[in-house]
Amino acid sequence: MIRMTITPKLFILLSAALVWANANAQISPERLLNADQEPQNWLMYSGDYDSHRHSTLDQITPENVSELKLEWIYQVRSRAGAAEKFEATPLVVDGVMYTVSPPNDVVALDPLTGRVFWTYSYSPSPEARVCCGRVNRGVAIHDNTLFMGAIDGHLLAIDARSGALKWDVEVGPASLGYALTLAPLVIGNKVIVGPAGGEYGIRGYIVAYDVETGEQLWRFNTVPGPGEAGFESWEDPEQEAWRTGGGSIWTTGSYDPELNLTYWGVGNPGPDWNGDSRPGDNLYTDSVVALNADTGELAWHYQFTPHDEMDYDATQIPVLVDLNWQGQDRKVMLWANRNGLFYVIDRVTGEFLLGKPFVEVNWMDGFDAAGRPNQVLAPTEEGTFIMPNNQGATNWYSPSYSPVTGLFYIPSWMDTYSVYTKREVEYEPGRQFVGAFPTMAMPALGVRPTNVRLPEEGYGAIQAFDPQSGEMVWRFEMTNVTDSGVLTTASNVLFAGGREGSFYALDARDGTMLWRQSLGGQVASGPMSYEIDGRQYIAVSAGAGLFVYSLPQ
Amino acid sequence: MRSVLNLIQQQLRALIIIAGSAFMFMGLPAGIAQEHSYAPADIETGRGLYQANCLGCHGDNGDAVDGANLSTGRFRRASSDEDLIRLIRTGIPNTPMPPHNTMSVGQVRTIVAFLRALPAGGGMASVDDREILIGNPERGEALFNGNALCSVCHGINGGGLLLSPDLAGIGSQRSPASLELSILEPGAEVRAGNRFYEVSDLNGKISVGKLLNQDTHSVQMMNEDEKLVSFLKSELSSYGFMGSPMPSYLDVLSPEEVSDVVAYLLTLTEENAQ
Repeated sequence: MIRMTITPKLFILLSAALVWANANAQISPERLLNADQEPQNWLMYSGDYDSHRHSTLDQITPENVSELKLEWIYQVRSRAGAAEKFEATPLVVDGVMYTVSPPNDVVALDPLTGRVFWTYSYSPSPEARVCCGRVNRGVAIHDNTLFMGAIDGHLLAIDARSGALKWDVEVGPASLGYALTLAPLVIGNKVIVGPAGGEYGIRGYIVAYDVETGEQLWRFNTVPGPGEAGFESWEDPEQEAWRTGGGSIWTTGSYDPELNLTYWGVGNPGPDWNGDSRPGDNLYTDSVVALNADTGELAWHYQFTPHDEMDYDATQIPVLVDLNWQGQDRKVMLWANRNGLFYVIDRVTGEFLLGKPFVEVNWMDGFDAAGRPNQVLAPTEEGTFIMPNNQGATNWYSPSYSPVTGLFYIPSWMDTYSVYTKREVEYEPGRQFVGAFPTMAMPALGVRPTNVRLPEEGYGAIQAFDPQSGEMVWRFEMTNVTDSGVLTTASNVLFAGGREGSFYALDARDGTMLWRQSLGGQVASGPMSYEIDGRQYIAVSAGAGLFVYSLPQ
Repeated sequence: MRSVLNLIQQQLRALIIIAGSAFMFMGLPAGIAQEHSYAPADIETGRGLYQANCLGCHGDNGDAVDGANLSTGRFRRASSDEDLIRLIRTGIPNTPMPPHNTMSVGQVRTIVAFLRALPAGGGMASVDDREILIGNPERGEALFNGNALCSVCHGINGGGLLLSPDLAGIGSQRSPASLELSILEPGAEVRAGNRFYEVSDLNGKISVGKLLNQDTHSVQMMNEDEKLVSFLKSELSSYGFMGSPMPSYLDVLSPEEVSDVVAYLLTLTEENAQ
């Protein structure tokens, strides 16, 4: 009675059904742990859990980098008007590139041609409020699932093959300023994020969700509440300041699998520029926290800027390095902070090992033995001239560490200053909770088409530092400041860019300029590298485009 | 592979024809909750505004967004034209639908006029409004999930192959006759997002899959392993569209059984889609 023919086409589909049913995890936890073993891919925001932003690919060299040619450009489109800053670092996973078109469209691209496989478009709630642009820094991957944080405080899980939504959770309420701008971090079965919103009086946290279900697995409050360790550092007699204490999270953390610790930089206390309502150190704002990756329990913390009134939030990428420190093998963390100081910290214990300025700094004049800065300047009602400026000596822009040169590379804002003035500030839900915006000769965010500033009003640099001595080895100076991250490669090529839109290669050993291109829009992202069919590619987001380069075939 | 085929063949052998009982006849689904009649001039104005503001995402025929087919006359989140106007102006939070608050209410009303005038083709080029037999949805569901093997490939709100269209909402999007035609003659008309493509490389290795994107120089597909793959046409010996991989059920199911499956598919409305 039944006469169904199994056609070749049906056979293919049924075969696919079998494959699908038995599909292996595409990106397993083990692959993420060993991300440095597959340099053809770029599996997480900073390349690997150490966050070196260093590629072991070596086809592009100081000798041939001048031959680089543009392979393709992918132009992002914003439905809400002109694209705002394009800050995402793309991932490349087994022949597919994933990036985020601002604010929150995930795109799967062919890394050879830049052609689109699919787009997942998400319109954030109109209630979303972000201080500094409707931006996103990229996705994370586990198995066949991508994770994207949205500026309305949602975390989304998206099928990496079809672009279909798997789950969507609210991490924090958009109406109160909670927003996700960072690329999430996946560790094992957890996807870890935290909310931005330090200018809106949020109370921050780092939170882990189950990659399969979106169920919350743990949460660490970056501003502790009553009964939690660190609460004693919020000393206002009313015990209210912690409720709006800030402690935002907007850059991706790092992970040491041997210690099972994940490290995160925490943002400024709220309100930003008048700390009178929040006496005390205001833990864990402006700190790095080391958390047990299974439980979220705090192992240690180090606070870079206690009781910050300069908005020096510690939202930098923790760079994990194993080195011989004064005759002893140590697991350390390198950290160039927005407050102008370069730090070496023992990442097992949190012990302060070294702190030295990497730009002009006048707000402090030294450290005590425990690494607490001796602060000598703070905002006043009359106004205080403080270096570095409010945007900081560096910021969220990714640094790089090259195990080949042993140097740490910092995107730096040189000789900048602000005048900080204290003003009364009151919390209103959903409104900015900051104080008086400091004056700056250097525009914090806006990029102007022309630059007529004096050098003493500030300039940019890529600086190479020796972690052992904390001394600068070389400096590549730029007329304008930069919001670009730094990529280094095993062949001693360093890639970075500038606000005026130049993208360039330096010799990582001495800072010699090797190659440059004008991309016509500011580089405000971290470059990355990947390989397909034996060819090395360099990718960078700039302006409203994703630009990909390789050597001629 | 072999075992799966054997299993399917066994199941097909076991397929039992259920004798038809209560049949009913139906035309187009109850239709279009249109409250106003719109002037041709409004529809034309709306067409222009649609093309300027909506076409980028929703496509020429209003069917480019999965789960948000505008050509059906049925809307999950709006029952009246006023609802629709409000929804277009405010957008839908946490979805790809942005606010369009730069247009006046009057302008948005013309877009609604245009949407109401779209043929209810569910993304098909033609509207198939023949009256056909509608069977028993419970029996159809049993066939869908059982002996007819539909659910091997097609999910409903997930669960099927990524290569095959998920059928959530299909009952709102397609006419009964069009569903019947797709069962009996699957290749007769295939929606743009569901088309298959076949490429052969210079060594004769063939890959097939769902077409995702194409241009003069390259083609992007989801292949039979549900992986995203891209080919340069210069590195292919041949490439092109292929027919639907879905088998015809013309000689597999009885007319009554086809009517049962159609009846079941008509219950898969937008209201029940996730």
